[in-house]
Amino acid sequence: MRFLPHTDDDRQSMLATIGITDMRQLFTDIPGEFHISKGNLQLPEALSEAAIVRKFTQAAERNRHAGNTRCFLGGGTYHHFVPAVVDYVISRGEFLTAYTPYQPEIAQGTLQTLFEFQTMVARLLGMEVVNASMYDAATAVAEAALMAKRITRKSRTVVAVSVNPRCREVTRNYLSQQQGECVEVACADFSTDVDALVAAIDDQTASVIVQYPDFYGSVYDLTPLREACDAHRCLLVVTFADASAFGLIEAPGCFGADIVCGSGQALGIPMGFGGPHIGLFACRQKHVRQMPGRICGMTEDLDGKRGFVLTLSTREQHIRREKATSNICSNQGLMCTANACYMTLMGDSGLEQVARRSAAALQKLLGGLPEYVKTAAGAHYNETVLSFADEKTRQHFLSVARENDIFAGIALEQMMAGADARHLLVATTEMIDEQDVDDYIAALEAIR
Amino acid sequence: MSANAYSATRGLQHEEPLLFEREHKAATAIALPGVSGEIAASLFAFVRKTPARIPGLSEPETVRHFVRLSQWNHGIETGFYPLGSCTMKYNPRVNEQIVRLPGLAYVHPEQPQDSVQGVLALLFELQQWLGEIAGLPHVTLQPAAGAHGELAGMMMIRAYHDARGDNKRRKVLVPDSAHGTNPASAVLAGLNTVEIKSAANGRIDLDALKANLGEDVAALMLTNPNTTGMFESDIGEICELVHRAGGLVYGDGANLNALVGIARPGDMGIDCLHINVHKTFATPHGGGGPGAGPVAVNDLLAPFLPVPRIEKNGDVYQIICEGEQSIGAVFGSLGQTGVLLRAAAYIAAFGCNDLHKIAEDAVLNANYVLARLKDVYHVPFPGLCKHECLLTDEWQERHGVKTLDIAKRLIDLGMHPMTVYFPLIVHGAMLIEPTETEAKETLDTFCDAMLEIAAQCEAGDTAILHDAPLLPFRRRLDETQAARKPVLVWNDSGFSS
Repeated sequence: MRFLPHTDDDRQSMLATIGITDMRQLFTDIPGEFHISKGNLQLPEALSEAAIVRKFTQAAERNRHAGNTRCFLGGGTYHHFVPAVVDYVISRGEFLTAYTPYQPEIAQGTLQTLFEFQTMVARLLGMEVVNASMYDAATAVAEAALMAKRITRKSRTVVAVSVNPRCREVTRNYLSQQQGECVEVACADFSTDVDALVAAIDDQTASVIVQYPDFYGSVYDLTPLREACDAHRCLLVVTFADASAFGLIEAPGCFGADIVCGSGQALGIPMGFGGPHIGLFACRQKHVRQMPGRICGMTEDLDGKRGFVLTLSTREQHIRREKATSNICSNQGLMCTANACYMTLMGDSGLEQVARRSAAALQKLLGGLPEYVKTAAGAHYNETVLSFADEKTRQHFLSVARENDIFAGIALEQMMAGADARHLLVATTEMIDEQDVDDYIAALEAIR
Repeated sequence: MSANAYSATRGLQHEEPLLFEREHKAATAIALPGVSGEIAASLFAFVRKTPARIPGLSEPETVRHFVRLSQWNHGIETGFYPLGSCTMKYNPRVNEQIVRLPGLAYVHPEQPQDSVQGVLALLFELQQWLGEIAGLPHVTLQPAAGAHGELAGMMMIRAYHDARGDNKRRKVLVPDSAHGTNPASAVLAGLNTVEIKSAANGRIDLDALKANLGEDVAALMLTNPNTTGMFESDIGEICELVHRAGGLVYGDGANLNALVGIARPGDMGIDCLHINVHKTFATPHGGGGPGAGPVAVNDLLAPFLPVPRIEKNGDVYQIICEGEQSIGAVFGSLGQTGVLLRAAAYIAAFGCNDLHKIAEDAVLNANYVLARLKDVYHVPFPGLCKHECLLTDEWQERHGVKTLDIAKRLIDLGMHPMTVYFPLIVHGAMLIEPTETEAKETLDTFCDAMLEIAAQCEAGDTAILHDAPLLPFRRRLDETQAARKPVLVWNDSGFSS
């Protein structure tokens, strides 16, 4: 077997050192009734490397993908450009095959990268401190809700329905294991109903959770929410789906958010059918000891040279066990490296260009829509909802678009049970060019 | 073997400043595609007033920055990495290649199901394989890591009891040797933990277990082999006792590498098991993640599995979103697909013929290391170990040398240290897990190093141990300062944040 270096001679000589003669004697502590016969598992025969490549290539070729279509799908996952350098850097064995940096002297590469990641994410989100990642946006939002309950010692959570439904569901499921109420506040016409949220916050409310830009791509002023939170000593939690937005629009931190969390997938990570992505998690300095997850900090070595270590670990499960702030151990470490490398290649101006082009593609699309397609009101970054007269018209359009290699949007009810089956959630990125938009509009014209 | 067989040297090492300390001139390193027209006027009011201050570097500078940083890291590709309970085995390069196929890397999770049949087929097949390996046929791929799998499992167990109207069961028994994630996950599922003291032989104390079983017990969380590297040979009786008391047994699959292809947790009476594919099935650890922690369950718990999940209907793979008794979603998608596909490729490479060889060679290697070191290092629980062996610093401490010193000395000799000070139930623990992908030559180099360190202790030649490490890029780092005055982001004015 190509991953196993021993020869049979090696094995015999090692068994002799141990003082036994047969490999089976290594397992005499497992009661005989539990031993399975060799080769008896219902698994296929072993494949050679070439056969594995063939198997996976054949499966991959059965999928359509953003490389051979035009992808207008969003809803939490976005087809942004990923420079080759990002994939090269995260393929380096020293980053790829290292464990969590528990021995900092020989993990300074991972640790300095984490520190740079934390700093850049903090700046992008306008926040004070950032952890070394959560699994994804949904679990990050759930952890934010739990963190807010710990900080405020209050039990009620208010969530806007304009938060991504997957994030809402995971948050609801996490919260349902604990005492306390989780209230969802309806939205108005594909935008966040700030007034209704303000009205829903009371003195028992630990946090109000909103998405910005929201699930429908709508951008809005968070100031009234900050004021309502202050009035009720409640935390403002802001989540986001496409972190590229903050290259252009005001960061959530600028509105005084207490916790900002969401997906970093847009920053150099391919869509990969849902993972691995990354959950970004930021908060205020004063709450850092209630934050979940690993954190990298700066220090010095014995010679006074600057170095980095994992820190504030007394919050974590390996020290605090049942009293830890979270159970998270493995996180999305390598994806932090991807985010850091991506942001370094982009810089402020590159991030702004990505955002402007993502937004400009949507603007061009909206400008060319035939009249029979209705659009959501308000300011939108790179995502919005198109509405058709009925389900039949929408499905007709989707199939015509598909014939032209366009994935034209996500049927809203696919992500949001109960939504009217005539809406389409549409997203654009810098990977959509003028021709793609023209072809999209042509498909809409074709079914008129 | 002579000492100069050890591989660490001071090679050409570059200091590399933080990105924020460099001069930034390049506008952007990247020429972007896309639409370069106007943005909507309605967005103007929301445009950032100040830039984020993300420093941009040109492409050559970016590559050099991160390559230099990478060179300060030790990875499994660089050298031996015997971290106990972490299963640091070789990560096949072909698995990196296949997940980058465009038809897998650039697939959107909300694409129409008929356009993703290829990836669904691979994931469904993996569900079947993991169920077969665990002896627990129903599998969710959603959990993103081992601890996340524990949470999903405990939520299912809680839902199972509640569905039977048995809603007084809120107590979870956790051995004191367990990973810290176990109690933390139980609490996150709204349950209370009770710690079960280990017996003098490092295994579950059956009397202590019996004393804690009752109508309030939801589950026992058990790692088998446990974190001392020993197999819980009473596993059949343990599961029976818990079941008889109305509880379920949760298996922490972190140590599945010792059993894979040899024996199945489901056959032993485990009801629910998470599988750390980043351990047993060789997906890279990435400096902390991503992992994946699929959970396999028996028929009792199947109705409670998270949705969405993948089912096969004739020749068509379907994503099922409804489940009357399901605990719902615990993750934003079907799972960490890229990680899961690497695991599938690893299992495919061994197949039914060779899968057991993983456990055989892993257990052989751990017992070989134990055999070579047991006369010079204290072995708290003598006997056969499984995929990892546990030593302590008891005999070295008499010479003023602690586990930490031994670990740091190994760095100077070119190896990653073992897991130190875990499990918590022995003083000065050194938990060594060589894995099956290490050659005898590597194990011998490690054992020689450990013997040399022990000899230096005996000879009183301990300065070199206390001062270690001397060779790497940084010496011992001040963790107290880092925690007392946390500097977590770079502030241009320097050390205060």
